[in-house]
Amino acid sequence: MPTTRSILRRGTGRSILLAGLVAVAGLVLAAVTAAANPEPPAGTGPWTLAVAQATPTPEIPLESAPPLPTPIAHPGDASSTGCVDCHSAVDAKQAAIADDWRSSVHAKEGVGCADCHGGDPTSDEITVGMAQANGFQGVPSRDETVGLCGSCHANADRMRPYQLATDQYSKYFSSVHGQRLLTADDERVAICTDCHGVHDVKPASDPTADVYPFNVPALCASCHADATKMEPYGIPTDQYEVYKGSIHGIQLLQEQDLRAPSCASCHGSHDAKPPRSDEVVQVCGKCHTATQALYEQSAHSRVPGAGPKCWTCHGTHDVGQPDESLFLHEGGVPDYVCATCHSPVDQSLRLELDRFADPADRRCDTCHHEQSLIYSQVEAIANAIGGAAAAYDSALVQIDDAAALGMIVTDADVAAQGARTELIKARASVHTTKLATISELTDATIAKSSEAEDIANAKLADSDFRRRAMVIVIAVIALNVLVLIVLRRRLHATA
Amino acid sequence: MTNEVRSGELPGGMTGWVERRLQLGPFINAALHVPIPRDAKTFYFGGITLFLFGIQVVTGTLLALYYSPTPEAAYESVLSITSDVSFGWLIRSIHHWAANLMILFLALHVLRIFVQAAYKYPRELTWIVGGGLLLITIGFGFTGYLLPWDQRAYWATVVGTEIAGDVPVIGPSLLLLLRGGAEVSEATLSRFFGIHVLVLPLLIGGLIAIHLLFVHQQGLANPKYPEPRPGRPAPARPPERLKPFFPDYILDEVIAWYAILAALVILASLFPAGLEPKADPLVTPEHIKPEWYFLAVYQLLKLVPEEAGVIAPIALVLVIVVLPLLDRNQEVRPRRRPIAIFCALLLLVALAVLTYFGGRI
Repeated sequence: MPTTRSILRRGTGRSILLAGLVAVAGLVLAAVTAAANPEPPAGTGPWTLAVAQATPTPEIPLESAPPLPTPIAHPGDASSTGCVDCHSAVDAKQAAIADDWRSSVHAKEGVGCADCHGGDPTSDEITVGMAQANGFQGVPSRDETVGLCGSCHANADRMRPYQLATDQYSKYFSSVHGQRLLTADDERVAICTDCHGVHDVKPASDPTADVYPFNVPALCASCHADATKMEPYGIPTDQYEVYKGSIHGIQLLQEQDLRAPSCASCHGSHDAKPPRSDEVVQVCGKCHTATQALYEQSAHSRVPGAGPKCWTCHGTHDVGQPDESLFLHEGGVPDYVCATCHSPVDQSLRLELDRFADPADRRCDTCHHEQSLIYSQVEAIANAIGGAAAAYDSALVQIDDAAALGMIVTDADVAAQGARTELIKARASVHTTKLATISELTDATIAKSSEAEDIANAKLADSDFRRRAMVIVIAVIALNVLVLIVLRRRLHATA
Repeated sequence: MTNEVRSGELPGGMTGWVERRLQLGPFINAALHVPIPRDAKTFYFGGITLFLFGIQVVTGTLLALYYSPTPEAAYESVLSITSDVSFGWLIRSIHHWAANLMILFLALHVLRIFVQAAYKYPRELTWIVGGGLLLITIGFGFTGYLLPWDQRAYWATVVGTEIAGDVPVIGPSLLLLLRGGAEVSEATLSRFFGIHVLVLPLLIGGLIAIHLLFVHQQGLANPKYPEPRPGRPAPARPPERLKPFFPDYILDEVIAWYAILAALVILASLFPAGLEPKADPLVTPEHIKPEWYFLAVYQLLKLVPEEAGVIAPIALVLVIVVLPLLDRNQEVRPRRRPIAIFCALLLLVALAVLTYFGGRI
């Protein structure tokens, strides 16, 4: 009894191969037709005829955020020091809490103990200050804490002086964290204080705050890299390690480049959740705006459902520096099964994230395999970019050689910069999947690279001339010295 | 002395024509036809330094024809000299290397004079004037370094002038005088250019003339025997063995000059003077390194408190300049001057170590 996998594997039988080729030809035809028609009307495009719509990720309806509690009312204000006076003297732990509060942004802005714990801060008497009759509430539970923070932070009037957003409360309850707290009463999920601190709350703009962009990956990893904490949820714990080695992680954590994304940039902070397949282009496009615009011109962008998205080629946490290796497999395409890209049930396109978890699979010819019609276009694009990159590299080698010989290569560098700009544009234009657009830019790259290389070659020739001229000049000097030595000898002989 | 121009036997042609009018013969005879001790070993260091100065005058004049001393145009003009002007690269590279070799041969010349004790009676003034020449040459290096107006030039001058600003008492005024303002700017460039091509050449020209006049008047020192001093018993010494300055010594000197010229051509051809990106006051380079002859002071400043790092080199230069007034020992042979030779060796080792570590950034 053959399994589905063995049936789908290419080369198992002529009939299967024929059927497969017919299916692939249909897909390719659809892709070519789609590329030729930039904007097919939704639902009526050729893709819908040839390829069944992929099953969208089911969206679980969100549970609404609970009503906001009213801020805790209490006598006194931030200058009422009853709580701090006593707690500083109780023991080291309480003193540390008081110190944390003093260093916090809350202390600076007049938010005191009673704003979160209730009670009467004007009194030094424990029986008064911490009396339930005076509104003392003690330590709020984890689910109460979110409401407690929200009671002020969702209040536009209260936040206006600080120009702070007031949507964190509603965003939080739209997050995976908030939804689990709300629907499963799961108090292990992150709440406000886990990220912002309890008593020592710092502004997000403070570089020492855990929520400052440089510190966010480690903050998220403090739970998400903990196998014990994540075990109940069955989610991986290697994201932080993988992210640290990614181009994003290197830029943010090593190069201290605040433009690079932290976890929160893609997942959201208060509204943290993994981006869905239909969101990922927008998420990446938040920073890679120009690339998004190019991608949206492509045939890829018009593939409905789980079509090729940013992560299909670039990965997610492990996104690396893209290069020409992303086009084609080196040394031949592995024997992929059809199910790598297609649903075994209805053959619809299913380029879901988990199918491209291995970076080695993120190649154009994983989908556009050698037998496909599109393959020749992929190959042409790869060759065009490869040729342009080679021309640019060749120019750089000549410039480096000339510089190593002590030649001033400023003009060659300027020309190479022009070539580099064209190469960057050409590489970015790959996202359009349009060979004509790409070729135009690769041709420009090659032309400017040649210009730079010609300048460098002229420098190398000049350096060569200098060295040959030097030999002649040294020979003339040596001859002169020889004559002088002969004169000297004659002089001494005469003397 | 077959080449002497004797009165009464005036040659014909142009030489005779001039001589009949100016009677330069005795002057030239006096300048050229002097006997020098056969034991004198100059290693031609002084003459080579003079030759290199001549090279600097010629190449510097040619560079000045194309150079524009303004922040807007300086860098581009140097770039143009190096890239566009015919043999501009050669002129600039020779100027660059001759400057370095001039400092090197000047140092070797000072060292030779010290080891042979040629600074002692009666040549104290020649040494002191030579000290002035050394300082002016370093001044040439410091002011010339800024002129290409590239990153290295700009930031080395920022650091260099800041060091000058740390000199006790006169530091702030000196800093203002050097920079012509609070920052290294257009004012600094124009005054460095003026000092480099006008003030220092006039000064060094005058001092070289005085230095050579003194050398001519006193003749070369014998490295084996001290000069007899008035009022003291003359030390026993065999009769001086002499040789003619012209043409014997001059011929050897010219051969040495040719060797230096060959070295300059090789250095300029294989290691032409480079140019970093244009000076940008807003972008501080990761490493700022001065010319090799300032590296020792640069390294010293990293190791000792700022004031000590500034005062120590100044004190050292002062001690070197007035050395003949401090060192009253009559002996000239190095073996009989162990303390002086030990101090010099110690200083050389210290300078070499500081320069080595200063260059390792």
